[in-house]
Amino acid sequence: MQSNIVSFIQVLRSHEVRVSPAESLDAVNVVATLGYSDRSLLRDGLAMTLAKTPEEEVIFLQCFDHFFHGELVDFATADPPQATDQNVLSLSAESADNVKARDGKPGDGASPLIIVARDNPMLQSLLQSPLMQSLVHNDRNELTMAITRAADQVGLQQIQMFTQKGQFTRKILDALGEEHIRNAVIALEKAENPALVEVQRYRDILREQVRDYVEREYLLHAEGKTRQFMDEILSKTRLNNIEHTYLHKVHELVRKMAKKLASRHSRKRRQLRRGQLNMAKTMRKGIATDGVMFHTYWRQVRKEKPQILAVCDVSGSVAAYAKFLLLFLYSLQDVLPKVRSFAFSSHLGEVSDYFDSYSVEKAIELVNWKYGGATDYGNSLLDFARLALNDINSNTTVIILGDARNNNGDPKLEIMQSIYQRSRQVIWLNPESRRAWGTGDSEMLRYQSACHFSAECNNLKQLERIVDQLLKSIG
Amino acid sequence: MQSQDFPQLASIEQIEQGFESFGYICSRKIATSVFLAFALRKPILVEGPPGVGKTELAKTTALLLDTPLIRLQCYEGLDEAKALYEWKYGKQLLYTQVLKEKLGDLLHGAQGLAESVERLHQFGDIFYSEDFLEPRPLLKAMQQEKGAILLIDEVDKSDYEFESLLLEILSDYQISIPEIGTVKARTTPMVFLTSNNSREISDALKRRCLHLYIPFPTVELEQRIIRSRVPDVDEKLRHQLVEFVHSLRQLDLKKVPAISETIDWARSLLLMHAEQLDEDLVRNTLNVLLKFEDDIEATDPELRGLVRDSGSD
Repeated sequence: MQSNIVSFIQVLRSHEVRVSPAESLDAVNVVATLGYSDRSLLRDGLAMTLAKTPEEEVIFLQCFDHFFHGELVDFATADPPQATDQNVLSLSAESADNVKARDGKPGDGASPLIIVARDNPMLQSLLQSPLMQSLVHNDRNELTMAITRAADQVGLQQIQMFTQKGQFTRKILDALGEEHIRNAVIALEKAENPALVEVQRYRDILREQVRDYVEREYLLHAEGKTRQFMDEILSKTRLNNIEHTYLHKVHELVRKMAKKLASRHSRKRRQLRRGQLNMAKTMRKGIATDGVMFHTYWRQVRKEKPQILAVCDVSGSVAAYAKFLLLFLYSLQDVLPKVRSFAFSSHLGEVSDYFDSYSVEKAIELVNWKYGGATDYGNSLLDFARLALNDINSNTTVIILGDARNNNGDPKLEIMQSIYQRSRQVIWLNPESRRAWGTGDSEMLRYQSACHFSAECNNLKQLERIVDQLLKSIG
Repeated sequence: MQSQDFPQLASIEQIEQGFESFGYICSRKIATSVFLAFALRKPILVEGPPGVGKTELAKTTALLLDTPLIRLQCYEGLDEAKALYEWKYGKQLLYTQVLKEKLGDLLHGAQGLAESVERLHQFGDIFYSEDFLEPRPLLKAMQQEKGAILLIDEVDKSDYEFESLLLEILSDYQISIPEIGTVKARTTPMVFLTSNNSREISDALKRRCLHLYIPFPTVELEQRIIRSRVPDVDEKLRHQLVEFVHSLRQLDLKKVPAISETIDWARSLLLMHAEQLDEDLVRNTLNVLLKFEDDIEATDPELRGLVRDSGSD
């Protein structure tokens, strides 16, 4: 049974409940203390050691019910099966008839199947097979066990993707010997035999049972993996290639990353609050108490508030990236100082207000709508200088996101240079790959000369790394 | 704490009954957690909305076991000098004064500096010794001969650094004092930590604890709580008021009324000799349940319906 707890913990881990080895030990101790007799008690006890937040507890309860479904509930109480619908109910009624028929009272109560089987050797042998026996007698335990055995045989626990569900279902059915029933159905169909309906129904019940079983196992073993896999893939995909349907997932992911970064950097900022001992002042104040230094004085670390200006190209080619950069920056409000954001394509405007009065997603939508269009970097830089150049000082970080494709207009490099000279750092993020910089109408190589740091940035992983660095540098 | 010393904690049923005898009606889950914490010698991290009886749980356990309750209220800026131990600076200063005076006598006849220093070393180093140690709650809990209930209240209010300070205590029940060494708990105390979730508790801390989330109680449980706490309230009224509070919790309020508010309300209704709820009565006493003017205003238009639904008509 211990291995059972371990595999249960595996399942929890795949559903993003973090369980450390020490907690597994605790769980085993809990089981040893409480025993298996009381299911709800065991569930509460395990929940206390394994789930550490209310959210995790919800996941835990789901997993617990799924995992100990077959083992603790069904076999102990042998509930009437609920997974399948009416079929089973009518089946059980029918099977009762069959049992009667078997007892030597053939006649009106006997189903056509039995009658036909009497003079059909193929059906006869089919009926004698253990699989068919368990179906006909509605022997759920036997059937579940057979399915479990077959599932082990075909390695259902390895299931990874939802696309494999059909394949595994078929494999299990084959391992169970479903083809005999299938053949019988075909044969009966040809012969237009009245027993056809009944055999068909058994076949459908069997299929449904196996499908349910596979579904359950998939939820247990694979769903978590698939999610991790998705996250992994999404964070490495070029942001403008991500399909619309996955966007909400990406938002979630950005939030998660931002939270991680926020917690990492907020701790650092806390540590910096108190400075070194101010010996001179401590001694001077100690004179009043005969040179005994009762009170200590500390050098306060005076920190200018860093400021971030995010300038985003929201023209068609770059809009998707701008969206995620802004989402990232505004998800970091706890640790980042006040962010001012600007959007441009043909002209530039400050859009900070949108973010103050709307939710981040809504604001980004509005910005895209208002400033989208063909790009003109020269003009936009002029606008930017007019709006914000005077506010740029040695505490300012300017982040520019754009592909630097200026449609062959005047790049106005001198403005970039004055920004470069005044600011603490200028970071240019370019969604195009480094090889494409400077080709065609790209002014990237020239702009790059006026940046402290420029990087290719087209997926979440890169974005996360850059924001991490940014936080380090201003922390 | 050894289990044979405390038959009160021998089984989950006994814990439930024991708590009940002290007027603390708890769900089975809570009793299970206390049972497990005791059996596995682990701290319990109790989370839940304010006023559901997190602190009360520790207090009642202390009553049940008849052991001292040592309470540490956490707040921002709490540090080891206030939580673990502090040196008795005043006495230490006096000690140096005394030492200065006695120094002549002690070193009398010593030849040269080397011998003086050597002689000095022969005296025990009592400047940093337990005599000059001022125990704060955490150390005090370790020093209790017969065990104690240690309540670390609102741990989420403390700083991150303080959490790491707790780790050694919670997993090994010992405290390291650099000048002296490691102080081990004479008897393992039973530890309760409470949190209102005002910030995320670090994983390292969570990992060392059993996690207990106390939600708002079900109607039945709350009925039992009121019956136990305010036994004089008539059954019909009790029924109504619990129903009313439950429907109030469904509304979007700044601060939903918790069990403690329900108890207060029941008491006030008792004082006013109310026999059943009616709209005016509720309106006049609503400030016992709701602590924000906004909440009271938001509830006002709904009152009639809520009172009706709670079954008074």
